[in-house]
Amino acid sequence: MTDRRSTVFLVDDDPGVLRALTILLDASGYEVRSFPSAREFLAHHDVSIPGCAVFDVAMPDLDGLELQAALAMDGTERPIIFITGVGDVPTSVRAMKAGAVDFLIKPVGEDQLLDAIAQATERDASARQHQQELMSVSVQFAKLTPRERQVLTHIIAGKLNKQIAYELGTVLNTVKVHRGRVMKKLGVRSVAELVRVAERAGIRAASSNS
Amino acid sequence: MALLILALPWFTAPLRADERPWRILMLHAYNYTFPATSLAADGARERLLQRSRRKIEFDAEYLDLVRFSEPGHERLVADFLRERYAQRRPDIVMAISGEALPFVIKHRDAFAPGVPVVFVGAASGSLASVSRPPGVTGHFFDLAFNFREMLALAERLQPQAKRLFVIAGTARLDKIWQDIARTEIERRARKFETTYLFDLEYGALREATSRIPSDAIVLGLSVFRDGAGKTFLPVDVANTLAGLSPAPVYTPYVSQLGKGLLGGFGETFDAMGRAGADVVLDILGGKDASSIPPRANPESSHRVDYRALQRWNLSESNLPPRTVMLNKPPSIWEQHRNAVLAATGAFALQTVALGALLVQRRRRQRAEALLKDSEERLAFAAAAANIGIWRLDVGTGGLWATEHCRAMFGLSRTAASLTLDGLLDAVHPEDRHFLADSFKSATQFGTQVNTEFRIAIPDREIRWLVARGHSAFDDAGRPSRISGIFADITARKTAEAEADHQRKEVAHLMRVSVLGELSGAIAHELNQPLTAILAYAQAARRLLARKNPDLGKIMEVLNDITLEDDRASEVIRRLHKLLRKGESRTEPINLNELVESTLRLLNSEAISRRIKVDTDFQEGLPGTFGDPVQLQQVLLNLLMNAMDAMSGTSAPERLLVVGTRSSGSGAVEVSVSDRGRGIAEEQRSQLFKPFFTTKEHGLGLGLSICSKIVKAHEGKLSVDNNPDRGATAVLALPIKINAAPVS
Repeated sequence: MTDRRSTVFLVDDDPGVLRALTILLDASGYEVRSFPSAREFLAHHDVSIPGCAVFDVAMPDLDGLELQAALAMDGTERPIIFITGVGDVPTSVRAMKAGAVDFLIKPVGEDQLLDAIAQATERDASARQHQQELMSVSVQFAKLTPRERQVLTHIIAGKLNKQIAYELGTVLNTVKVHRGRVMKKLGVRSVAELVRVAERAGIRAASSNS
Repeated sequence: MALLILALPWFTAPLRADERPWRILMLHAYNYTFPATSLAADGARERLLQRSRRKIEFDAEYLDLVRFSEPGHERLVADFLRERYAQRRPDIVMAISGEALPFVIKHRDAFAPGVPVVFVGAASGSLASVSRPPGVTGHFFDLAFNFREMLALAERLQPQAKRLFVIAGTARLDKIWQDIARTEIERRARKFETTYLFDLEYGALREATSRIPSDAIVLGLSVFRDGAGKTFLPVDVANTLAGLSPAPVYTPYVSQLGKGLLGGFGETFDAMGRAGADVVLDILGGKDASSIPPRANPESSHRVDYRALQRWNLSESNLPPRTVMLNKPPSIWEQHRNAVLAATGAFALQTVALGALLVQRRRRQRAEALLKDSEERLAFAAAAANIGIWRLDVGTGGLWATEHCRAMFGLSRTAASLTLDGLLDAVHPEDRHFLADSFKSATQFGTQVNTEFRIAIPDREIRWLVARGHSAFDDAGRPSRISGIFADITARKTAEAEADHQRKEVAHLMRVSVLGELSGAIAHELNQPLTAILAYAQAARRLLARKNPDLGKIMEVLNDITLEDDRASEVIRRLHKLLRKGESRTEPINLNELVESTLRLLNSEAISRRIKVDTDFQEGLPGTFGDPVQLQQVLLNLLMNAMDAMSGTSAPERLLVVGTRSSGSGAVEVSVSDRGRGIAEEQRSQLFKPFFTTKEHGLGLGLSICSKIVKAHEGKLSVDNNPDRGATAVLALPIKINAAPVS
């Protein structure tokens, strides 16, 4: 967690509930952004801000579940907690299947709500970290030349330099030079490490008899 | 013939065309609507025109001194008269009513310097209080004397009476009467237990008069102004009080007789006018006004209204000699004097006439017998049908009724004189004024009597009666007689009450069932404030636990808690209102508020059904009267129907539009439009019938109850398909309050 105060996006059409939850979450140490409707939220939602969202289910116009679907369609991954006045099983199942963190029934106890928010914030943070790593790996992979990349696929397939030279129709020394540059550019010191990084970046090993 | 001879000397003195006409200026103390002065002026004018040898031109002005009592008024009138009569000097000024005399004396120099003044109808008392300058004389009447004679008349007619009630107002003349009454009654040989109804406010005076015991003597003096400072026509007050009083009322103003007052002593107003005119004639004939002492009118006498005498069952034989009897039907002798005289002149003719009379008499007797027979049969049939027949004579207040009719009111058949008040005594106090008003309006304006009321007689169960009657009119178009029936409608009323009760039960059950359907939504409506309250409380706890608690913030949160609590109680209150079974109430209704409040009840339901609700309220909508719970039930039904109708509509298109407006035709309307399936043609006629439903679980009572409720509010309920899709229900209620009611 970079900032101690992570943000909770709150959407509820009931002004009283919206205000009360805002004050509660604020008092509990969260940065709260509250919206009286799904449309308001969509208009001002900043994906880059870390944190989670708390949606009321029953709202006029766009309801909570529709808002969840709208976010998913955009590819936005924001952990969502639903709160609802009437907890019917089909709705809660639908919400959970679509990836909700929790489905809480009003009136919501603070422990329940804060637990769920903590869990959701955690999930958001780890997702962001994963994303971060992914980003840095792919930046490094982008530095490789096409030939070096070709050599890499053969290395992680567990081939010897000799075999690689033969398969690429080049001499052993050239392969050695490529291999050294790949290790250096990706900042790894062993083949084992190289294999792990490549795997994370989604690079597949070359097949043995191409 | 005698009249002709008497009048002859005046005809022998022909009008002389070359002479300038006499000018007489009549100054009325009041305005032209005041009957007494108008009558006096007419009497004077008639006498003058009849007897003057010269042509007379009359001018008349109305000083209106009682209604305009502010200080500037007199001067204003005097200035006006000066301007107006500067070039048109009157030969004589007549002050009509003694009330005009002080003004005339004070301002005569302004508009008629040196002109003789003749007053008419000055009370001796008021005359004593002004110093009479030269050239002022006229006719007066002795109030004290008139009062004594009036009381003497009452004493003769009601020898048993022990109690005396005296009525007078607060104006100047009223006060003079008050003094006279006190002095004279004090001096009187016969002693009474006397109640002075002086200086009372008019309402209180009427109230007091209506409670006078029936064996008392009532002296209605004059009420120009009541204790609250309101001015009146004494004749109106006297006649109204005579109608209210359970005992006969005497008056010192005999011109007022004929509408219920019994009698009194005095002269008529036109006689006063004639007496004044005689003084004028003397002056015009050359006498010096200063040399003529004011004189009383020899025409004064006891006067009694024969019809009132009959009504009070007072004996004619007790009347003082030479009493003038008004409204007495002429006797056979008086009526047929000429015929009888002619008959005595011709014996043969007499025989024939007698024969004819005999035949006529027999015919009449037979007709009377037949009539009596048929009346008896009618009365019998009516009694069998539990109907009482009655007839009210407007002039005398006399009431005739069948025996059965009396029995209905718990009156014995022997009760001597039946009066409307006697009947009213048996009427339930809550209904009494309805019946009394109905009769009052019929006697005054000839309207139909049609009133339902209860009879409450001790130790008997309450019965419902209906009074129906219509008026017969005299030649002047005034109601003279009202005849009608009383019918016992207790059985019908009981059935109605039973049906009403059933209807209320069903309406209540329907409300309960609608609310049952809404229970989920209502629970949600309550859950919202509870959620907020819980969150606020927990937030407050956290804020308090901090090292330096922000008390301002905590206070704010606590305030928010109370606000949310109010909101929750509001929901419960609204529910409670709808679930209550109580009596129906009628209140001013602000339709916008009622619709708004109903929509709030349905808010969660609409959201959960994915229905968008749009409102289009006309601001400042006029109000109506009604039962808010029943009307809300109608709205609830219309809204629920509209929402149900859209169950097959795709979610984004589910739109409910609720509008209010005042229509051109004096109604306020609520319209509820949906975008549902509409109404099939074959269902339209069934829509408001009980047990007709298009819903799977519907009872089919909603709209039928609604239409009954709306009908009871004199409103209209209609449902029509929209041009594009769905249907619109319109509830129209009559406008009864022109501004928007504030609740």
